[in-house]
Amino acid sequence: MEILSKLNSPVLYLICGGIIVFVAAVCLIFAVRAYKAGKALGIDVSKMRRVITASATFAVLPSIGILLGVIALSGSLGTPWPWLRLSVIGALHYETQVAQAASEAVGAGQLSAATMTTQAFTTIALLMSFCIIWGMVLMLINGKRYSTRLALPAAPKKDGSSVKKKSLKDFGDPAMTAMFIGLVSAYIAGYIGTIVSGEGFFTFKGSALSLAVAAVSAMAMAVFIRIKEKNGADWVDSFSVAGSMLVAMIAAIFLGKMM
Amino acid sequence: MDGKEITKNSEIYGRYLENTHRLGRIVTIASLVLLLGAPFLIGLYLGVMPDLSAAAKAFLAVGLVYLVSGIAEYLIYVPMLGTGGSYLAFITGNLINMKVPCAINARDIVGVKSGTPENEIISTLSIATSSLVTILVLAAGVILMIPLQPILQSETIRPAFDNVVPALFGAMACKYYRMNRPVALIVLAFMTLLFSLVPSLIGSMSMMVIPSGALAIGLAFLLWKKNQKD
Repeated sequence: MEILSKLNSPVLYLICGGIIVFVAAVCLIFAVRAYKAGKALGIDVSKMRRVITASATFAVLPSIGILLGVIALSGSLGTPWPWLRLSVIGALHYETQVAQAASEAVGAGQLSAATMTTQAFTTIALLMSFCIIWGMVLMLINGKRYSTRLALPAAPKKDGSSVKKKSLKDFGDPAMTAMFIGLVSAYIAGYIGTIVSGEGFFTFKGSALSLAVAAVSAMAMAVFIRIKEKNGADWVDSFSVAGSMLVAMIAAIFLGKMM
Repeated sequence: MDGKEITKNSEIYGRYLENTHRLGRIVTIASLVLLLGAPFLIGLYLGVMPDLSAAAKAFLAVGLVYLVSGIAEYLIYVPMLGTGGSYLAFITGNLINMKVPCAINARDIVGVKSGTPENEIISTLSIATSSLVTILVLAAGVILMIPLQPILQSETIRPAFDNVVPALFGAMACKYYRMNRPVALIVLAFMTLLFSLVPSLIGSMSMMVIPSGALAIGLAFLLWKKNQKD
């Protein structure tokens, strides 16, 4: 198809690849700076190396999932643009949704190479970029003030209320854990809700695959935690999330056939 | 650590944060220019520019939702990710399905507390590493796209990659629910009821993180206050 050969041209690879190289360089600079600052602050180097290993293994499987997003979009938008979008700033759940909505909004109808025009493509590309910039914009205009406010100790007051506020700072860790529990719960509850009302109000006929995969992953994680706690094997931490995900994703292949 | 060393460390950390903000702003501006400029640059090559009036209309139709979720993500995730981590995470994206769980996991593995210099360093290292891995995997995938496509898209393997997010959150649920079981139980029950009663919300799970997180923090605060009194 002619449009796809245009959207897959070497010039587009060069433009998108160039931006990706820039962002990769930014990541590298931030990592090196953080590592050096960590050493200067006396943070144990082995701890930082563990973080790098754990984060690298953690990221592999979700990255392959993201690659599938690139493949899915490449049929209608060519390969370079989805490659850029999902390497930089984009999000797996966001890109397909916005690309589809943008395609309909600019009159290209269903997102497909058959109905795609060069103008529809550039307009969709602009929309995909513009709709998701808000986190960056807010960091730019308010990031320093916001993060400084979060880091500052409570200012002492005449009535001595600073003591109370200072103790409120101890709530930081439980708050982070709670926020994360909230995040995870929204998704797990969504999977249960899909079973209960996904195919009609309280019909219990919705797909149970997502919940079953999450349950297998949770069980695999419980095994990893047990190994760690029983044998004092701290190294397990670095691979437990990636390992649990791998087990659950393999299980999904079999569960998918059964459900 | 003696007083002199503490002062020296807070000076180093203060300087690091200051420079991180400066660098973060520069690279954020550069990234915005590159990302918003790319469609026009591509348009120049293709000989047709984006239709701005159609883009504006489409933004009103689909973009406003992302404005709201962008603000919410900023308010929620900056405290979790720290300064350097936040600049990087908002540039590289994939926050919910990768950067946030990855940074939280890294933080817990090495046992650092939120709001500390250690947390700032660990979070930045974690997000930078995971972003680089994604960039490398995607680059390798794009190079190998033709031989990989039939394997990755085969009907047999497809359920595995359709379920990356449930696999991720299942593991994370097991790890984090243990830390505060009462909160986990109540929030999960409440959200399940909500999704079951209003199934149309199932399609907006990333937005539903906001009420779910708010409820969890509220409950955790009540529990924490109670424990303080005891």
